[in-house]
Amino acid sequence: MLFLQLLLGGLQTGALYALTACGFALIFGATKVFHFAHGASFTLAGYLFLLLWNNGHPAWLGVLAAIAVATGFGVAMERFVYRPIQRHEGGFFTVFVAAFGVSLVVQNLVGMWAGRGFVVADSSLSRATEVLPEVFLAPVFWVSLAVAAVLFLALGIFLTRHPAGVALRALSQNSDLIRAYGLSSHRLSLLAFALGSALAAPAAVLTAITTGMNEAVGHHVMLISMAATIVGGVGSLKGAALAGLSLGVAESVVLNFADPQWAEAASFVVLFGFILFRPSGLFGHAVAR
Amino acid sequence: MTAYLANLATLAAIFGILAATLNVAVGYAGIFSVAHAVFFGLGAYAGAQLALLVVPDALLAMVVAALVAGGLSLCLALPALRVRGEYFVAASLGLQMMATTLFTEAKGLTGGMGGLVGIPRPMILGVEVPTLALALTALVLILLATWLMARGSFGRTLRAIRDAESAAEALGKNINAAKALAVAFACAGAGVAGALFALHMSFVNVESFTLDQSVLIMAMVIVGGTGTLWGPLLGAVLLLSLPAGLSFLPFIPPTEIGAVQQILYGAAMTLLMIFRPAGLLGDMRTGRKA
Amino acid sequence: MRLSRRALLGSAIAAPTLARAQGGDPYVLGTLFPLSGPNAEYGKVFTEGVQLAMQHAEAERMLRRPLRLQAEDTQALPQQAVVGMTKLVNVDRANYVMVGFTAVSKAVAPIGDRSKTVMVNGGAVGPDLAGLSPYFWNTIPLAHLETREMLPFMMRRNLKRVALVYVDDPLGDAILGIFRNDLPRAGGELVGSFSIPRTAQQFGPVAARIRQTRPDTVYIASFGAQQGQIIKGLRDNGVSVPLTSYSAMNLESIRNLAEAEGLLFTSQQTDFASGDELTRRYATDFKARFGSDPGTYNTNYYNATRLFCLLAGKLERENKEVNGDTLRAALLEQKEFDLVGGRATFDEQGSMTAAIQINEVRGGRVNVVTG
Repeated sequence: MLFLQLLLGGLQTGALYALTACGFALIFGATKVFHFAHGASFTLAGYLFLLLWNNGHPAWLGVLAAIAVATGFGVAMERFVYRPIQRHEGGFFTVFVAAFGVSLVVQNLVGMWAGRGFVVADSSLSRATEVLPEVFLAPVFWVSLAVAAVLFLALGIFLTRHPAGVALRALSQNSDLIRAYGLSSHRLSLLAFALGSALAAPAAVLTAITTGMNEAVGHHVMLISMAATIVGGVGSLKGAALAGLSLGVAESVVLNFADPQWAEAASFVVLFGFILFRPSGLFGHAVAR
Repeated sequence: MTAYLANLATLAAIFGILAATLNVAVGYAGIFSVAHAVFFGLGAYAGAQLALLVVPDALLAMVVAALVAGGLSLCLALPALRVRGEYFVAASLGLQMMATTLFTEAKGLTGGMGGLVGIPRPMILGVEVPTLALALTALVLILLATWLMARGSFGRTLRAIRDAESAAEALGKNINAAKALAVAFACAGAGVAGALFALHMSFVNVESFTLDQSVLIMAMVIVGGTGTLWGPLLGAVLLLSLPAGLSFLPFIPPTEIGAVQQILYGAAMTLLMIFRPAGLLGDMRTGRKA
Repeated sequence: MRLSRRALLGSAIAAPTLARAQGGDPYVLGTLFPLSGPNAEYGKVFTEGVQLAMQHAEAERMLRRPLRLQAEDTQALPQQAVVGMTKLVNVDRANYVMVGFTAVSKAVAPIGDRSKTVMVNGGAVGPDLAGLSPYFWNTIPLAHLETREMLPFMMRRNLKRVALVYVDDPLGDAILGIFRNDLPRAGGELVGSFSIPRTAQQFGPVAARIRQTRPDTVYIASFGAQQGQIIKGLRDNGVSVPLTSYSAMNLESIRNLAEAEGLLFTSQQTDFASGDELTRRYATDFKARFGSDPGTYNTNYYNATRLFCLLAGKLERENKEVNGDTLRAALLEQKEFDLVGGRATFDEQGSMTAAIQINEVRGGRVNVVTG
């Protein structure tokens, strides 16, 4: 029963990891920008939701505001930070340092404005009840899975049916080709940032309800997203989502066999192993040598 | 005031070594590692244990630290020889996270979160020497080694690998050996820095060897300019003295000092990258996509 | 580089002149608290205590010379702390430095020891912090002593099967030791111990493991933002037994957490309602200045600051110089002081012992539990 409980708990966490990781992978795949400030979108979305929720506003308003702020932040990063750097042909790590700086600014502004320390949106959704003997599930479990499933389905349809979605996928495969066909890769980059950042918002809202937030939470989110993108195979959204899910499950299920202090390391052992033995990831093309 | 500046200068020299050695991996061989703090930590623990258990001899501590860190850097070289670019970043990230857990759990060797206390002051042949002098000497030697290496044929091989790996291979360069050597040199240097750090602080614990520290060292290299001799050193001095200098600002309310400093610090990094993407001393024309 | 060096030199010249301009060479009280990063909430709490004590000292005219607060951010990290400490000692010439957090305390102790600067800790409570240096004092009972006081209470409440969730640092280790050795003697049993990394965020899986041990109570030994996450993680995932902990729980974010209702934790004794005059004035003025009830850490750093004022005042009356040695001599001469919460006693190592009380969180407030 412990195993089942850990598995289900891991799925709930994993669904949220999958959403943020997928957003990160979408941005990285389409624009080749290592969006290290993805965690900052998450922090901003979570805190805005908390603010509205704790002031008695309805949940839908909080969710919309969270999506809006995450999207706005992502687009602003593309427009004002990454694009100027790329215009100068700045390298991979130039982008990384710039984004790191922005994350520091966001984290500390949030701390000054919303107070430092642990905050949580109090909701009955996160309270678990015993559904089977020894197995506790909270309503938020179903919400998380449903939200993730619906969003992935919608994203899949958009990327395969809508012209802009198709172009976005094409951009991730060959950006020169896009230009040759007269499509604006700048507009598509903005779209990738908007979509990718928006995907972080629902995960942030659900995290605010379940495990709660502190102003430094973005860091962890970022690590997981990055690991999942690599494990899943760069350029594969399906891979990133599945890897995010597995990282969540692994982190939880490992407690069936080991003591909790090893849980976090376990995810990264998986990551390290993947890079050594299957560098192209779950669904990636063989880009390594 | 002198003691304060001496302390800052010592830390700047130690981080200068870290940044300069990481630069060998990043700037010359194109190996992007965010696990430099792991080897910094290995060196610090090795140096500290030697000083605590055997003899507080600074030279011996540095040599042992360099051997331990350089030797174990094969763990890092392994993925470095297999994958490139973002993949290697992620591999080193995995290594960093595993190492942090191991440093915390291996209490017999590292003291865990509680750390190692009472590390004696550094001596050379039984005479106490200031860490500043040691750190500066080590820094100069490492910069010299880097400079000689960059000019020699090994440096050309590394640059060839960085710019066009397949072409370098086609030209008959032994890529694996060159990469492994670059990694070993970088990590041994980090080990030396670690030993100096342990002797200087007389206390070390795992909190100095986390991912944040690795990211900071990486930022120093990038801010200063990758692939340049003086850039990483400048980056180290700048990123250490910026928060220290900001703490002299008299008008910030005490509870907000930390946040304001961090905001200014973060903003400075971002703006610098927007306006000088190749780093302060980097050549704008040769900035490349890695 | 030129710019930063000039800034450094410039402020080096400016700092002493500024101090003199403020009139009569103030005593410099340095603080080395985390003011940014994941533990920044503590920095704010610690500083509030210091600020209120300075306000009271000035109102009472306890000292002839004025007081100046010099805050340095450590982010609770050793390296930053060493930079801050050398600045406080060598540039600001601090007379008294207040620190928090284990790693910070251990990193700065050798510097203070060399320069004979008194360092006082009111926040970190690992057993490894006693006797770091003659100049290193504690105005907080070390936490493992708190845990020992909790045992009889647990037995009276019939909380005999204890599961421990702890961060694997010297403090967590000491608490684990007490539960292993003293708990069986008191009539209880440690049914499970779960070590967690400092950075862990998800506690659903740990909760599942804890449920399996069927405890009567779960004892939490962590600190900072993580504590709230543990409480919520346990409560949300079907752990409904009473939660127990130590004084690190005395934070506003915990008091305001719905899931923390009923949380039991130890702290040193402070009776704000019916205590002595000093304690009552402290509670009233604190609420007036910061808008909330004071917590343990506010009190500890208030006491740390007040201790300096009492000692320096005594030295001023005796026309002695105020430095690390005279402060230490004055402390060891008197040993007992009237501080907030009542009479506090210091031992030879400069560690304070005080009576312990057990608190319970009810409706966003902390109430003292008797019996």
